[in-house]
Amino acid sequence: MNNIVFLVLGTVFGLLLSLAGATTFDFYAQLFLLENPQLARVIFTAVVVGTVGIWLMKRVHARSVMTGEPISFEKKGLQRGWVIGALMFGAGWGITGSCPGSAPAMLGEGKLIVIPSLLGVMVGTYLYGWIESRRIGGCK
Amino acid sequence: MYDIIIWPGWLAGAGIGLLMVAFYWITGKQMGVSRGYCNLWAYVSKLPFFQQKEYTGNIWRVWFILGITLGGFLSTVIAHPGEWHLHFDMGQAYDALLPNNVWLRMLILFGGGLIMGLGARFAGGCTSGHVIAGIPMLNLSSLLSGMLFFVGGLFAVQLTVRVVSL
Repeated sequence: MNNIVFLVLGTVFGLLLSLAGATTFDFYAQLFLLENPQLARVIFTAVVVGTVGIWLMKRVHARSVMTGEPISFEKKGLQRGWVIGALMFGAGWGITGSCPGSAPAMLGEGKLIVIPSLLGVMVGTYLYGWIESRRIGGCK
Repeated sequence: MYDIIIWPGWLAGAGIGLLMVAFYWITGKQMGVSRGYCNLWAYVSKLPFFQQKEYTGNIWRVWFILGITLGGFLSTVIAHPGEWHLHFDMGQAYDALLPNNVWLRMLILFGGGLIMGLGARFAGGCTSGHVIAGIPMLNLSSLLSGMLFFVGGLFAVQLTVRVVSL
């Protein structure tokens, strides 16, 4: 049952990404060529609306609807390699014209050219797991 | 080549911001996509990293990704009834940036996806986890990562445009 909630939230996210133009390859190139502010507008507005929403939730000490627990807003720290990681992510973002969130929506739209990018994301994720496993596990 | 009827950026952006807040409020969790790919690996890989509870549990991330795919499908079916089809088009901008040879193009996209997936893990999140959800939490690491995401994209695309026009 809980999983259905996430499925529905994902569906709404996918619909919104399509409507935002985040599933249109052209907008990504145009964002980084500084030719078309569509995605910049999307990101900026989402961040502003999100900031107000999170502030409100903190103010009213919101509880999660699903668990009834108070919501904890844990902050992520910076981990080793984050600078090079963020730059790599950005380069991939520009080259593929997609991101890990919009790529599945593009697939749903029938844009098969996103498959190599998705496979790349899978392999990149695996590589990180492999590197980290060697670190965690010592000599393996 | 057709596309979804695009909403004005501010309207769709407000929708995405509201969805992120609703996600937090309903589930009590921070919205994010890229970790879901670790959950997918947890099904098939024996690597200790993927066998952590974080990834063997939290199957919601896989459902969230499935939902996004369904959302993309629905948007096309609703906006263009009867026109949904499978295709390999990328559109004008990337036709100008990437090779026309489809195999070479797919190889470059695979490489781009690889550095995107690896980079997201080193950075601790992607556009959704760091930018859309992280910055509104006033998370400094998210703001810095988001800025570097943009720098990386600028660098890659601007460089490609110059190489292509040589």
